[in-house]
Amino acid sequence: MDATTILFLAALGSYLASTVIYGLSLRVRRVHTAKTATRVFLAAFVLHGLFMVSMAFLRGRPPLLTAHDTASFFAWTVAGVFLLFQVRTKTRVLGAFVSPLVLLLLLLAAPGTRGETVIAQNLKGPLVLAHVILSVAGEALFALASLAGAVYLLQDNLIKRRIRSPFIRYFPSLGDLDRINAACLLGGFPLLTAGLIAGSLWARVAWGDAWPLDSKLVWTLMAWLVYAFLLHQRLALGWGGRRAALYSVAAFAFLLASFFVEKALFTTIHRFS
Amino acid sequence: MGLLLVGMNHKTAPLEVRERLSLSCREDVSPLGLLKGIPSVREALYLATCNRVEILAVAADVEEARGELVDLILTHGNLPREELERCLYVHRDETAVRHLFRVAASLDSLIVGEPQILGQVKDAYRDAVDGGTTGLILNRLLHHAFRTAKRVRSETGIAGHAVSVGYAAVETAKKIFGGLRKKAVLVVGAGEMSELTARHLLKNGAERVLVANRTYARALDLARELGGEALALERLPEALMEVDIVISSTGAPGYVITREMVAGALRRRRNRLLFLIDIAVPRDIDPEAGELDNVFLYNMDDLQDVADENMRMRREEAQRAEGIVAEETERFMEWLKTLAVVPTIVALREKVEAIVAGEMERLAVRFKGMSEEDRETLEILVNSIVNKILHDPMTALKEESQEGGGQAYAAALRRLFRL
Repeated sequence: MDATTILFLAALGSYLASTVIYGLSLRVRRVHTAKTATRVFLAAFVLHGLFMVSMAFLRGRPPLLTAHDTASFFAWTVAGVFLLFQVRTKTRVLGAFVSPLVLLLLLLAAPGTRGETVIAQNLKGPLVLAHVILSVAGEALFALASLAGAVYLLQDNLIKRRIRSPFIRYFPSLGDLDRINAACLLGGFPLLTAGLIAGSLWARVAWGDAWPLDSKLVWTLMAWLVYAFLLHQRLALGWGGRRAALYSVAAFAFLLASFFVEKALFTTIHRFS
Repeated sequence: MGLLLVGMNHKTAPLEVRERLSLSCREDVSPLGLLKGIPSVREALYLATCNRVEILAVAADVEEARGELVDLILTHGNLPREELERCLYVHRDETAVRHLFRVAASLDSLIVGEPQILGQVKDAYRDAVDGGTTGLILNRLLHHAFRTAKRVRSETGIAGHAVSVGYAAVETAKKIFGGLRKKAVLVVGAGEMSELTARHLLKNGAERVLVANRTYARALDLARELGGEALALERLPEALMEVDIVISSTGAPGYVITREMVAGALRRRRNRLLFLIDIAVPRDIDPEAGELDNVFLYNMDDLQDVADENMRMRREEAQRAEGIVAEETERFMEWLKTLAVVPTIVALREKVEAIVAGEMERLAVRFKGMSEEDRETLEILVNSIVNKILHDPMTALKEESQEGGGQAYAAALRRLFRL
């Protein structure tokens, strides 16, 4: 076992630990426990980052180009942005939802960490990297926005219906969840947009066509439009609170569905391995 | 030698009795001075708060001290003996330690988990230290009590839940908005309850207060008191657009704030969240307004429910706290029990050291030519033999004393070594 694999397993183990502790904190509903879980989660995030660095330098390829790599990078971004929010908001309990997602994604990424992968010649170059990093980061932010939105809907329901539940105290406040939702949308949209543009530039180099008619591209553009609409409503019409949360969950469900539908039913030039 | 705690609290004594005792004690020369005068009392602490009066003492003879302390309270409370005996509780040794720990951790308080009591115990301890009535045992005991209280505070949520309606409103507001910074509060109807709730909100960070009332003069009064602005009741719809929290408590027979009023304001609020608190009976706010998106409506009963739920959680946490207290009590008692055999250990050590010193002296006289270096080597050797021989019996003695059987062993050692 080399250093890269050890780092990967260490990160995976730590995410597993943080997921278990977060699960426990949901059970005992103690913020104290969630605090511990967040520390473990931070450690896992650092190990995960080191794994990617080690991938790039010891194995000599950026850990971004295969489907497995993308899942890992996606997970890492979600984890990082969530941790970033811990500086300004009291939302560590959100980790109980973020941590299992990250763990799942990393498990999906696991097969890709073994051995060497042959990278297609037309996947080399800074534009591809920019395309992948920007779009995946944008989508990761959308994922976090939808998680915050989902917890918002739960908490909104508890407070509004005046349900006597200890979860009201345990879940983050609506204000904080709404702020995360807004910030993630606001950050994710330009990232995804820039990612799409980088992809288009590179497509022109690789295939001579900036917008090849590809199923993945079509679906992604549709999702992009949904988010453009959502962002517009938030900024121009002042959508907020429950409705914004509901729509961001729906929008991400659409993004996710398009990903799987496209994988199952269509062929795409986005499949490289 | 033992620990003794005599006192009364809100559960055992009516207010008039506690009042009389704590007042008369304060008027007099300090109660600590009187405690010092009791011959059987070695160390003492006097704690008086509005809910309790207690004397904690280390006494040579616990039974004797008990009588003397009760007599002292009797003369100073100026109370009939029967009545006083009914109100007093007496704890000895382990139960006294547990009682003190429970008091310091706020488990024995009227409102379980209230934070003031620890400060009051600390003050009482400082007075006792200043008065020179504490010694080895009370110093250790009180510091242990502070540590226990701290553990209870950090490891259980005993103080973390709001149990009054006003605080329940603050807590719910925090769960809605995150923080109360920059939030504006509208008080409708200048009642006492709404004023109190508004004060709670302000204390927790709310920034602006508007007061609307049917009689404008009264609105002005309350606005001045709260440092806010007054407005006429007719301008209520406009105010609803600006504020984040509304507290309503008018005496009006119908709804003062209707669903239409809130719905109209919402459109202009760009979906900012709105928290409506209706503490009026009959109700001021149309319950249907609470069905609107981003509006949260709580009435008096809802807030009482929040407070009750918190009370229930506090009780649960208190159970965990009792476990911590039991643990710490046991720990302190272990130390206290070893204390009983300490004089024996010291005496034994002193005796052995005296023998060693004497023999070394004689040796020096006999071997005049012995070098300083040899002397030192020899001394180290002898000391190490002595220590090794003493080590096992001393450890055994300490262990036995922790389990409560130390006295017999100490007596045996004293007899065997003629200490």
